[in-house]
Amino acid sequence: MYSFRRFDRTTILFIGLVAVSFLLATFDVRAQGEGVGSVMREGAQSLFTPVQEAASFVTRPVVGFVDGVSNLAGLRDENTRLAQRVAELERLVAETEEAQRKVVELETVLGLEVISDLPAVTARIVASGPTDFEEVRFIDKGTADGIVRGQAVIDENGLVGRIDFVSEHAARVLLVTDPRSGVGVRDLATNDTGWVEGRGTATLRLEMFNAEEPVEEGDLLVTDGSRFPPGIPVGTVLSAAASEVGFSLATTVSPVVEITRLDFVKIIVGWDPLDARFGEGEEEVDEEVPPPDSGVVE
Amino acid sequence: MRSRAVAVALAMVVVAVILQTTLFGEGRIQPFGASPNLVVVVVIATVRHLDTEAGLLVGFTGGLLMDLLGGSPLGLWAMVMTVVAYLTLRLRHRADDGVLSVAIGVFALTFLAHSLFVLAGTLFGQRLLTDLDVVRLMLLPSLYNMLLAAVVLPLATRLMGARRVDSWAA
Repeated sequence: MYSFRRFDRTTILFIGLVAVSFLLATFDVRAQGEGVGSVMREGAQSLFTPVQEAASFVTRPVVGFVDGVSNLAGLRDENTRLAQRVAELERLVAETEEAQRKVVELETVLGLEVISDLPAVTARIVASGPTDFEEVRFIDKGTADGIVRGQAVIDENGLVGRIDFVSEHAARVLLVTDPRSGVGVRDLATNDTGWVEGRGTATLRLEMFNAEEPVEEGDLLVTDGSRFPPGIPVGTVLSAAASEVGFSLATTVSPVVEITRLDFVKIIVGWDPLDARFGEGEEEVDEEVPPPDSGVVE
Repeated sequence: MRSRAVAVALAMVVVAVILQTTLFGEGRIQPFGASPNLVVVVVIATVRHLDTEAGLLVGFTGGLLMDLLGGSPLGLWAMVMTVVAYLTLRLRHRADDGVLSVAIGVFALTFLAHSLFVLAGTLFGQRLLTDLDVVRLMLLPSLYNMLLAAVVLPLATRLMGARRVDSWAA
């Protein structure tokens, strides 16, 4: 009799906790990053970010050691490959510097904002998501440093992701590789626009709005200026593609940033993201539906 | 004695979540592109020494902390960890003592936890099933957790002052 009562209580508590969890998740999804969930997250981040910073500082040598040991076998091949790559890039740099100088001159003449001139805040990544399913990073800067939801996060290579939650001294970055992440892009080779989505893996999915113009392998995709500042490199097309039955053109893209090598990032605070300008309700619509081509760079 | 065990369990879960977010994952320790789920192992290791009610609450708290410090909707991991805690509490009286039983139990519970997270996450719009590596991200952490269990389970037993160090049942 006693054991039956005990079993019953346990089961009732179990069902109750599962129900509470389910309700929490429902309200959190419906609140779209606001409400009680947001307050709890802010509190938890305020409390745990300093601890995570300290833990990250302590564990960094361990991570470096493990990384070094695991890569030991491939180091020689990697070295040779990199030496060849450096020679190739040195030649490209010389060509690019001249082209870049001309672009900056033209942008200045036309009154366009130059990305490198936009104010940015540098932040350190202090933690990642608890599991490999969550393509997020946590940084040590927040609203106190001028960061708001929706701002673009970049590194020296290009677009890393966007701020999707922010507290006073910390923020969460949704990486471009996350399946919930999407960004409007422009193919520099054709000037056509499209939509890039994360897939949780090392590659992204590209769908072009204009299916008539094929994309070629190696085409560089940059932000189209609808959500983020225009011209930020996003990725390169991995395989050429032409339209399927005349109305769909999709292929895979390799992101320009090395997600596994992220340590420091920059948050562009000098650009009004759509999220901050219009409020949260419209942001979710923007997230689901690819935005129309704004033509900012034209 | 009981309150001490609960306090130790909660402390271990908090440390596990902090280590999980700073030591494992992309750019950190992630052999073959997947990381162990330390929090699942710690919940299994601690809950098996607790009363049923306390065990369920420890599992729920650990999951909630993962939600708060992660990118998923609040409550998803809390639900998953509550299920893990519940099954651990049920299985501890039935599983045979021995390394193999413990290893299979940890593997199965980790795999179940990740499967449940993917299903519940998809239900709440997380698009986790679109992840091309989803099967690998469920299998490899389960294998890694089997190895971690060899360290974490005896450690939890020792810290919590439980009677037996190397058995599944407390």
